Amino acid sequence: MNRKLIAILLVAVLLTGLLSGCSGGTKGSKGSKEPTKLSFWLFNEVHKQFYEPGVEDWNKKYPDKPIDVTFEIYPNQELGSKLLIALQSGTGAPDISDININYFSNFLQGDIQLAPLNSIVDPVRDKFIQSRFDCYSKDGVVYGLPTHVGATVVYYNKELCDAAGIDIDSLDTWEKFEQAGRDYLAKTGKKWVGIETGNQRPFWPMIVQRGGDYLDKDGNVVLDSEINIEVLEQLNRWYNVDQFAAALPGGSTATEEAFSFINSGEIACLIMPMWYMSRYVNYMPDLKGKVYVRPMPRSGPNDALSAGIGGTGTSVTLQSKNVDLAVEVLAHLKLTPEANIRFWTHAQFDPPRWDVWDAPELQKPDEYFGNEKVFNMLLQLKDNIPSPNYGDLSAAAQDIVMNTVMYQALEEKQDPATVLKRAADELRAKK
Amino acid sequence: MSYSKIYNAPKKILIYTFFTIAAVIVLIPFYYLILASFTDTTRLFTDGLTLIPRWDRMGFFNYARTVTDREGAYWAWYSNSIQIAVLFTVGGLFFTSMVGYSLATYRFRGRTFIFILVLIVMMIPIEILMLPLYNLTVKWRIINTKAGVILPFMVAGNAIFFFRQFSTSLPVELMDAGRIDGATEYGIYFRIMVPLMKPAFGAMTILLAMMSWNMFVWPLIVLRENMNFTIPIGLASLLTPYGNNYALLIPGAVLAVVPVVIVFLFNQRLFISGLASGGIKG
Amino acid sequence: MSSRSLVEDKSLFGIVKRFLYSQKVAPYVLVSPFIISFLIFFLVPTLQTINMSFHKVISLYKMEFIGLKNYTRLWNVHFLNAIKTNTIYTLACVCTMIPIPMVLAVFLNDRTLRGRNFYRSVFFIPSLTSVIVAGVAFRLIFGSLPNALFNWMLGLVGLEPVSWNMEYWPAMFIMVCLAVWRVTGVYMIYFLSGLQSIPEELYESAEIDGADPLKKFFYITLPLLKPTTLYVLTLVVFEGYRMFGESYVYWEENTPGDLGLTITRYIYMEAFRKNDMGFGSAIGITLLCIVMIINVIQLKSFGFFKKED
Repeated sequence: MNRKLIAILLVAVLLTGLLSGCSGGTKGSKGSKEPTKLSFWLFNEVHKQFYEPGVEDWNKKYPDKPIDVTFEIYPNQELGSKLLIALQSGTGAPDISDININYFSNFLQGDIQLAPLNSIVDPVRDKFIQSRFDCYSKDGVVYGLPTHVGATVVYYNKELCDAAGIDIDSLDTWEKFEQAGRDYLAKTGKKWVGIETGNQRPFWPMIVQRGGDYLDKDGNVVLDSEINIEVLEQLNRWYNVDQFAAALPGGSTATEEAFSFINSGEIACLIMPMWYMSRYVNYMPDLKGKVYVRPMPRSGPNDALSAGIGGTGTSVTLQSKNVDLAVEVLAHLKLTPEANIRFWTHAQFDPPRWDVWDAPELQKPDEYFGNEKVFNMLLQLKDNIPSPNYGDLSAAAQDIVMNTVMYQALEEKQDPATVLKRAADELRAKK
Repeated sequence: MSYSKIYNAPKKILIYTFFTIAAVIVLIPFYYLILASFTDTTRLFTDGLTLIPRWDRMGFFNYARTVTDREGAYWAWYSNSIQIAVLFTVGGLFFTSMVGYSLATYRFRGRTFIFILVLIVMMIPIEILMLPLYNLTVKWRIINTKAGVILPFMVAGNAIFFFRQFSTSLPVELMDAGRIDGATEYGIYFRIMVPLMKPAFGAMTILLAMMSWNMFVWPLIVLRENMNFTIPIGLASLLTPYGNNYALLIPGAVLAVVPVVIVFLFNQRLFISGLASGGIKG
Repeated sequence: MSSRSLVEDKSLFGIVKRFLYSQKVAPYVLVSPFIISFLIFFLVPTLQTINMSFHKVISLYKMEFIGLKNYTRLWNVHFLNAIKTNTIYTLACVCTMIPIPMVLAVFLNDRTLRGRNFYRSVFFIPSLTSVIVAGVAFRLIFGSLPNALFNWMLGLVGLEPVSWNMEYWPAMFIMVCLAVWRVTGVYMIYFLSGLQSIPEELYESAEIDGADPLKKFFYITLPLLKPTTLYVLTLVVFEGYRMFGESYVYWEENTPGDLGLTITRYIYMEAFRKNDMGFGSAIGITLLCIVMIINVIQLKSFGFFKKED
């Protein structure tokens, strides 16, 4: 008897608690509502700079749906593993997270724990560089939103080129580019172009430009394709035969030594995506005004004009308690014209939404880059910027190119075809 | 030790020279780090860093940014690191010394087996346990707490191993003497043996404090908010594929070391000279 | 609390207490913290990991049994490279991180050496830094540009600058350097505390017999330091085979040419970067076996288990 009474009392108390909670909720939504708390993981503080004004903007625009976003910044690689653990164990993931494109395919395997974003992407799809959504999609469903195009271009140090009598505007084919390299080396005794021997550029953009890739559309390994072998042989020639290419110190364009190497004029040009602009501005102060951005040379008329390399996908996790709201917020932070303009003004990323490329903010001549309007050049490439294919094996494929293929072919001077074949077989064995 | 009687003057000079040179080499990385922390980091790599300071490019600007950046997150990391280190060390010393002592001084069934388990614990790379352990901390609701960072690794295998190795040289006769005097087994341990184990406690304080101060992979998985981070994780979040944030990283690294060094220097009698005075004679 | 009053207490509480305080049970009580911690934090997770190593892990609650496939995949060039790197690294560490701290400790244990506390402190201070912090300094020192400190010094003696993190042996060198710099001080302390337990009289009687310092070192110090040496050796081998940080600070994300690819990094890469928790677990279990075998051999050859039973 007694126990029953207590149980009834408890239920009553709980119910009144729940009910009062509900009524409190509805009351609040009319007046000043409690902001919904959202957590947002980042691996780069720079991104916070353009998300924060976006959040402020949201709260001004939608006073009935206020949000309070907490940003947590983790080391890049560790964010990937932490998020993976959280999603696999079913708890602990944030509402929204940035995910490096290198690891994104990990999150598209098995039961996908990210929210589909087609509802917000479809209305604006035609305003965007289409291929950038494909990177974060599986079976036609978009799970991540891009932060930049990463269109690959060539950064020339015009001062050095002029001194060697090289006209950078004439270098529209790889043949001419290579001839310029040989001339430059002969004239100055210095290296013409920098390449990564411990990473995947310019190899990746150069094969994608010609229609090659690591994986095909269906995720099958095509790393040892004819085009890939040709490009790797080409790079091998640059580096080991003609020797007008220099390995960047530390094997990558992202090391502080590479910045200093480029800054001191050791190389005359560099083939990198647009997002590398901010590295020039921040880390290579001595090149101010000397760097000119030009499209990639091509090997023939069938080649694309550029290739979109690198990226950060932003996703909503299904563990979020407010998936719908988080998706709406994400659209506001990444798909609106204002947001895309901020990508440029706050981080010098080439925004994936091309209809803002002629906005005044983006059209301002850039002092660092020879006072030119960089986006006018980009507008010419707009319809011809393919991105690589992404599939289950993407992370593994990139790892093997960065850690094995480039090093063995370029530093250990092994035969490019053999190296690629071996790497491709290793990847196939993973399936 | 009585090597000294054999040494003559030239030998002594040789020894002092050797130690001084060795000391200088050991200290160079610190000097380098401190020098870099006062230097304008955008110029750090373009100009290279030599051992000679370039005063015109130096100032306190990096430090000013470090302590104010991210709403003072750096200080939060600092205080978290200290709290975790203290709790981890005190708890770890208490438990591991008991276990090590018991394994060395008592003869009981299964002690070899338990000792082998200790060795196995020492060998397990924590990377392979991360997913199950993470799940455990979630179930126990100690995720994102200091307890979650500390508990799984507090009863550290290598500290048990050390205490066991050390305790084998403890005078077992004293245990019998204690029993005759009416002390309990625990009384014997805490009143008689612990004071004799002082050097081991000194050494293990250092080991455990270092372990917790430097833990990286595990706290990273357990801790969720920037304000709960420890120093190594906070600093590592400044290393990005977009170029490293050296202007914050280097002063952050210096500030992480300097106070510890100062505390150590003030207490070095306790840590190091303590070992010399508290030795056990067979 | 005297034992007599305990014996007289006949209540349940008294019986339990007497049981816990008995000489038979006390050792078990004393080791219980380890047993508890072992069962909860190691045994259960390890069993789960072993289980995962036979599965393709989709999530913690969804796995697909694939038998030994993860283990057969281990026979690949990267894993062999990682084992090679770990083995060479461990050997290099054994060759440096035992003799150097031991010799330092022997000298710094000499009461007549002036400033010995100063030197002890100096050698110990590097251990106070975390790998991440020390790594920042070492990256500066071992930069690959000619104006980085070490290359600059090579330049002074007329040698070419070295790309430290892009070639095999230089890469090994900079990892071992960092480890030696950071850990020597700790092992020195262990040896110092081991030296304390050697009775002074032994040296005095040896001196009467006319032994020179070298003889004293080899016939007294070395044999009597054996427990400490064994401890340090075990630590060096363990740490060598599961090394992570020394490589991480030089190669944060990529390990070109598998330089700096250690077994633990391989676990990390496969399990988290490539989302293959099952394969990662298989690597981990294999690592565990390797280290266990090495240590059992090593401890056996030192006669470690003999005095036990």
